[in-house]
This record gives sequence, structure tokens and C-alpha cells, in this order.
Amino acid sequence: MPASTSANNLLVLLGLLVGVAGCGPSNNRLPVLGEKQAVTKTVNGKEVVDSVDHTIPNFRFVSQYNDTVTANTLDGKIYVADFFFVNCPTICPKMKTQMKRVYDRYKGNPDVMMLSHTIDPEHDSVAVLKEFAENLGVSGRQWLFVTGLKEDIYEIGQKSYMVTAAEDKTAPGGVVHSGAFILIDKEKRVRGVYDGTTEEGVNKLMGDIDKLLAEYTQ
Amino acid sequence: MRETIQINYVVGLLLLVNACQSEEEIKRQKYITEGKQLYKTYCANCHQADGTGLANLYPPLNGSDYLAKKDSVICLIRSGQQGPIIVNGQTYNRIMPANPQLSELEIAEIATYIYNKWGNETVTTDIKTVREQLAQCAKPSGQAVAP
Repeated sequence: MPASTSANNLLVLLGLLVGVAGCGPSNNRLPVLGEKQAVTKTVNGKEVVDSVDHTIPNFRFVSQYNDTVTANTLDGKIYVADFFFVNCPTICPKMKTQMKRVYDRYKGNPDVMMLSHTIDPEHDSVAVLKEFAENLGVSGRQWLFVTGLKEDIYEIGQKSYMVTAAEDKTAPGGVVHSGAFILIDKEKRVRGVYDGTTEEGVNKLMGDIDKLLAEYTQ
Repeated sequence: MRETIQINYVVGLLLLVNACQSEEEIKRQKYITEGKQLYKTYCANCHQADGTGLANLYPPLNGSDYLAKKDSVICLIRSGQQGPIIVNGQTYNRIMPANPQLSELEIAEIATYIYNKWGNETVTTDIKTVREQLAQCAKPSGQAVAP
């Protein structure tokens, strides 16, 4: 009987493996972040309350190429957003060093974009952003640097991307802001927040971009 | 007897010289270690930990011809830098913030680290050198000079 016993063992093992594999993909999915919002809608003449995921609403900014950037510009893309300013003496250079890694890694990938918002639009005009992007070695439309109304930028940063951005005359450069990179999926949902000032944080981000890209190929 | 005394004298001198050298060497190593830490805090954000700078935004220190102007380097660690500068033939034009809070010792340590790491130096940039140089730096306009 030893042969059949080992065959049984093998079956059990196979079953276990299948079970483990079955759990795999769902465990691997990135979470959807942000509070769900309740919406009331009418279905078959009856009012029902449904919940929807937190998403990035529409916006209207101007890129380094002096054209309008809206949420539609990012349709069908996963993208990484951040908030910075050109003359920032503290964490921005680190963030730009790290975002450049992301740019270099996904350069030419039509599914991935980067969106850097200035939080000092008074200084960071279109021309200033263009020169900055060029000096950083960024060309094309995959990484957009946007400016706009200060209150719009601060509002979308705080309410939608869930990062801190506020004027503070006592801070170096006059603005306090987070060094976060925010990963947004094709449905405009927040799928991850990372420390954009460290190599480790951005390694994790790039791992998660790969996972997110894989979600759309399954 | 006389020879023995002489030999002792020579040996004693040698020991003294050796002791001095190693004291200087200990100081250099201390400056490099402290300087590396300060560099990480005050400089590496832009110039990177490996001193290679960032694209055409921030110039390199590693392999930089600008290090030849050590007087100017010491001044700009304290006072920052505005307006275009040319490094290895490339023009850079970003604001480097001033660091008025850095002491003469800290600037000496940073300079020692930078010049031992990327400037082919094997000596300490001491506080006296830094103090004398800082006194000769052009005063940044509208800014009070630290005593």
C-alpha cells in the first residue's frame, strides 16, 4: 500500500497548493484607499443609497507646455501624483530625484504617467516649470508639471490626494507639504501612498505600479 | 654610552613624530566622519549622496572642476549661491540656499569630507582656514554677517 499512500499525500499536497494559489491574486491586489462616499440614485423608480469609491474629481490645470490638463488627460492611465515647488530648499530635490527614477523606469510605457503639481504657482509659471523639466531631463508628455490657481491645487491635494499642503511662513521656503507620492489607477482611485523622499519608499511604489499594471492585463 | 643616549633621543623623536601624525590622522578621520553626516543633511538632497548632482538641475561635486575654486566653495557653503555657475562646461542656474547656521567647524568638516572624497586631498581643512576664508567672502546683499 505505500504507493497509494504517497499518491494520497500527493493529492492532499496538490489540493493545498491549489488552495494557496487560489488565494494568491486577491491577496496581491492593492487596496483602494479613501473613504467611500454614499450616493443616492434612482433604480426602477426607487431611491437607493449606494456607496462609491473615493476618486480624484475633475480638475483644470496648465502644463509646462502651456496647455490645459484635466482629469481626462489622464484617462486610461495609471499615474503618480506629487506636490512640490521649484525653489523648495528641503525635500523637493529628493522627491524629484526619486520621481526621475520612476520616469526612467516607465519611460515610453503608454499606461503610466506622472503629474507634479506646484504649490507655489506665483513663482512657478509655465516658463519656470518648462525650464525645470528640461533641466531635469524630462521631455514629452509622460511627466506633466502643472500649475493653476493656488486654492485649487491645495484643495485637490488635501481633499483628493490626501496629502498636506499649506502655506507656512515659518517653514523653509514658506510652504509645508508632504513628500508623498500618490498612486492613482485607471478608475481614478487612490491605490497607494508612498514616501517620495526615500529610495525604499519609491522601490515599493514601483513594485506596486507593476502589480497595478498586472491588474489590467488579467 | 653616548651612542645609546643618541639612539634613545632619535627613537624618542621618531615616536613623537609618529604620535603627531596619528593625531593629525585621527583629526582628519574625525572631520571626514562628521563631514559625511553633515553633507548628508545639508548637501545630499540636491548634490546626491554620491556627489553626482541631478541632471542639469544641480551640479556634481564628484568629478567637478569647480572644486578647484576652494575659496569659492567654502564661501558658498555658508552663503549659498544665486545666478548661473559653470561646472564642467555646463551652466547651472538654481538657487542654492544659504546655511548661516553652520559653524566654522562644521564647514571645515564638510570641506574636509568633500575634498578628501572628490578633491584628491588627503589633509584636513581646518577651522583657521575656513575662518580666514569666510572673512573674505563677498557679503550676500541685504544679509547681516554672522559675527
